[in-house]
Amino acid sequence: MTDDKLLTLVRESFSAVRMDIPAEHIIGRGQMLRTRRKALTAVAVLPVAAAVLTVIGVLGSSGGQAPHHPAPATLAAWTVTRHADGIIYVTIRELRDPAGLQRTLRANGVPANVVFLGHSFTPTTSSTAIPRSCRAPHLSDKANADLQAKIMPQPGPFNPISPGSIILMIRPSAIPHGIGLFIEAYAASPGSQSGQVFAIQTDLVQASQQCTGS
Amino acid sequence: MDTPQADFGDFYRRCKDDCLRTVMASVGNRDTANDLVAEAFARAWASWRTVSRHPAPVAWVIRTALNANVSRWRRRREVPVPDLSPAAEVPADDSAVADLVDPTIMAALMRLPARQRQVIALRLFLDFDTARTAEVLAIAPGTVTAHLARAIAALRADLMPASPQESSL
Repeated sequence: MTDDKLLTLVRESFSAVRMDIPAEHIIGRGQMLRTRRKALTAVAVLPVAAAVLTVIGVLGSSGGQAPHHPAPATLAAWTVTRHADGIIYVTIRELRDPAGLQRTLRANGVPANVVFLGHSFTPTTSSTAIPRSCRAPHLSDKANADLQAKIMPQPGPFNPISPGSIILMIRPSAIPHGIGLFIEAYAASPGSQSGQVFAIQTDLVQASQQCTGS
Repeated sequence: MDTPQADFGDFYRRCKDDCLRTVMASVGNRDTANDLVAEAFARAWASWRTVSRHPAPVAWVIRTALNANVSRWRRRREVPVPDLSPAAEVPADDSAVADLVDPTIMAALMRLPARQRQVIALRLFLDFDTARTAEVLAIAPGTVTAHLARAIAALRADLMPASPQESSL
């Protein structure tokens, strides 16, 4: 058998492999990436508005207590609770109001960039989706992973409590100055109830006005 | 004149299957490849004004997908939430993947070093020449040639152990 025939054999063995995601779905995801990019830019040019939102977020989630120890903030879509050991438990039930969750986390000492995506891709990395200026500085891949493990301790940083919900454990004291969390949650898998959380992925970003709003 | 969306849609429909095959042959998993290619095309649309002017937009997509795969394993932590709905209780149909590609051929590809897999996948499914492959993988053209020759030799030994040694390349 010639090399050409060998290559043809291999090529033809993949002939049944086809991508069945409609173009409209891809374009929808692309629009979200564009929107996110614009939103991150917008935060940088609207510091006053962001500060106002921060205050509202603190008041809304603190229940009259000091901002450093806010009471549980409960919304239908997600809940943020600080336990006595200092660990924050974030329960996400529906992919609604990511900005509110981001503000509440910030009020609890967790600089974060929260993104909810209304599509059903299994998460893949989107390192280019995080603006270069927001990527966590001076961290090797291993250091990044190790630090994430300290901030969101394994095993079980993501603990399902019921179908379509998720708990993310965060240890604020482990977050170094200048570092924030990138939290991206994806919608339900095809056939599941719309709006359910399907998966979540995290990364580290710089904690700054531009990147986390803090 | 086509709108950007129609232009992208046409590009996507023309290239998506070969991109998926290329990435699947590179990463060895259909679902992962599907996600990587979908994400790469989505990013292409997000930057379509730039990507559409690229001399080879499909090369941009493939490089994005392969880079994303590297980053995926290096950086991101991801944990899917178990879906306990009745529909999710149906076990994954592994045979469906096996039905798509001859398991013997897939296994032979997976025994190749990653770079050799990428080189041969780009040649097989996208017909990239040495220069384009070198550009996508950010390696020297001579390295591409060497990887391709080794990959073909290894596949031949794996898939055609008893066949006479012939070569047309």
